[in-house]
Amino acid sequence: MKLTRRQTLLGAAALTLPLPAMAALPDYRLNPQEVADGIWLIEGAQESFDRGNGGAICNIVMLATPGGAVVIDTGGTSRHGAALRAFADQRLGGVAASVNTHHHPDHWFGNQAFADRPIHALPASIEAQAAGAQALAEGLYRILGSWMNGTAPVPAETVADGGLLDVGGRPLTCMAMAGHTQGDLVLIDQRTGTLIAGDLLFLDRAPSFPDARIAEWRASLASLALLEVSGTIPGHGAYRRDNAALVQTRAYLDGFEARLDAAAGQGLAPAEALAAGPMPEFAGLGANPEEYHRATIQRWRDFETGALPVIGGSA
Amino acid sequence: MTAILSHVLPGGEAALAAYGGGVAVQAAGTADPFDSGMWEDHRELYLGEPAAWRTDPAMRLLAPRSAEDARHVPILVDATGLGGPVERIVITIDYSPFPLAMVFHPGRALPLLGFGVKYEMAGPIRASALVGGEWIMGGAFIDAMGGGCSAPAVTHARSDWQDGFGEMRGRLWPDIGRLRISLRHPMDTGLADGIPAHHLTDLTLTDAQGEEIARLEINEPLEENPALTFLLPPDLAAGPVGIVARDNSGYRFRGEVAA
Repeated sequence: MKLTRRQTLLGAAALTLPLPAMAALPDYRLNPQEVADGIWLIEGAQESFDRGNGGAICNIVMLATPGGAVVIDTGGTSRHGAALRAFADQRLGGVAASVNTHHHPDHWFGNQAFADRPIHALPASIEAQAAGAQALAEGLYRILGSWMNGTAPVPAETVADGGLLDVGGRPLTCMAMAGHTQGDLVLIDQRTGTLIAGDLLFLDRAPSFPDARIAEWRASLASLALLEVSGTIPGHGAYRRDNAALVQTRAYLDGFEARLDAAAGQGLAPAEALAAGPMPEFAGLGANPEEYHRATIQRWRDFETGALPVIGGSA
Repeated sequence: MTAILSHVLPGGEAALAAYGGGVAVQAAGTADPFDSGMWEDHRELYLGEPAAWRTDPAMRLLAPRSAEDARHVPILVDATGLGGPVERIVITIDYSPFPLAMVFHPGRALPLLGFGVKYEMAGPIRASALVGGEWIMGGAFIDAMGGGCSAPAVTHARSDWQDGFGEMRGRLWPDIGRLRISLRHPMDTGLADGIPAHHLTDLTLTDAQGEEIARLEINEPLEENPALTFLLPPDLAAGPVGIVARDNSGYRFRGEVAA
């Protein structure tokens, strides 16, 4: 891999910076809550990446086992990962293994702090992690600045698939799904019946669409709806015993699809659909309207092509 | 007055206003709202060194605040509020390797143009309209990671990239005068390693008699597989409208869209 100028500078800075300067950086403040028996949730900010949150925007879940914690998603930066690791080491007897639910960077850029133990992910996620790491890191250095110091993303190495993940004597049912990305890993803790849904589910935070395939996403939601669970931890948003995240995410997908269909079908240019903002009933969700603006740019072509019939070609 | 259609979506009118409505400055003036060093050069190079120019809130340019995808940054220019007949609209991007993106000659169409551009780095995009001998500039600052002009077109990642090359799609909405066209074209800038420049150079709209309605001069920054939005007066919006385009390799593209 070619070193970018930024990485070169970073490497040089790490050698010369005295430790106190590193310690003066802003800290991640975790607020772990035990939402079910031995299931610790560290909720992310209901926002987009920015310098106020340091990239700590998605939910991190830790399951206590006799062999240490099973950590579901590892945070958005190396230092975020280190803070999470410290909690696991101090309170949960260390780390047995970790899992990346999918390849979006808020969920795995903390992998460095967990690389001494197996990191599980779906094959499609591992591939996307490797392919996108450089570009994603450059983007996040630009947005997060010094929060990203020392972050050199480490893709997962242990292939997960459908079936049982039994680490430390606490079996987890794994289900390979897709739609939010090309690989979305869903887990159910067998002891408590808790669903850990990754970013197939959002609650009170606008879903993100950079890799979304809406029809597949909807099919995955239909599968989730059939599960008997005692509670749900979405990728972003609060733990709930009811299915609020499922209902809201499905309504958002339907609403977003209907809005862009209407825009493309009525002759709007994408800039007009973007400036029209999110569906009014979802305008108040965390990360909106920015997430809607991004989604409109990311997904516009999916809708436009269907709205414009073929009228000619190369002459 | 504006021809921007965001209001047809629920809540769209209020959101458009909150978004700024594509207005760069709230009052007419002669100061550059973006305070950019390139503007003076670009006036000289691309507007013919005019003695006078001004900004006007009636000159709208709708753009995202941040280029989510530097290869596709959606823009809508609306000069219909300026009142007078618009002779041409010059689209420039301050910090592009190809600052002159497009020149639109609305002719018998209305002075509204939607398109997407590639962004090489953050900076302003401007639309300057020549109205009654006077240049009126509107624009927007777009934050961007960049690299949109130097990245290879996505289509080259496929071995069969020529499949579908030149396919033209389009639709006319006679009741609102909208015309939208898309064309499969890599729009190669020549800056990506090993890929020579291959891009559209012009596109013309014609009426049922084959007479020109409007004309667009196109340069490298136009996005890959570009989609364009036009606004026609009722008589022309009844259709049919012919579309003829050419690229720098000598390919020609034709299509016709009926109401």
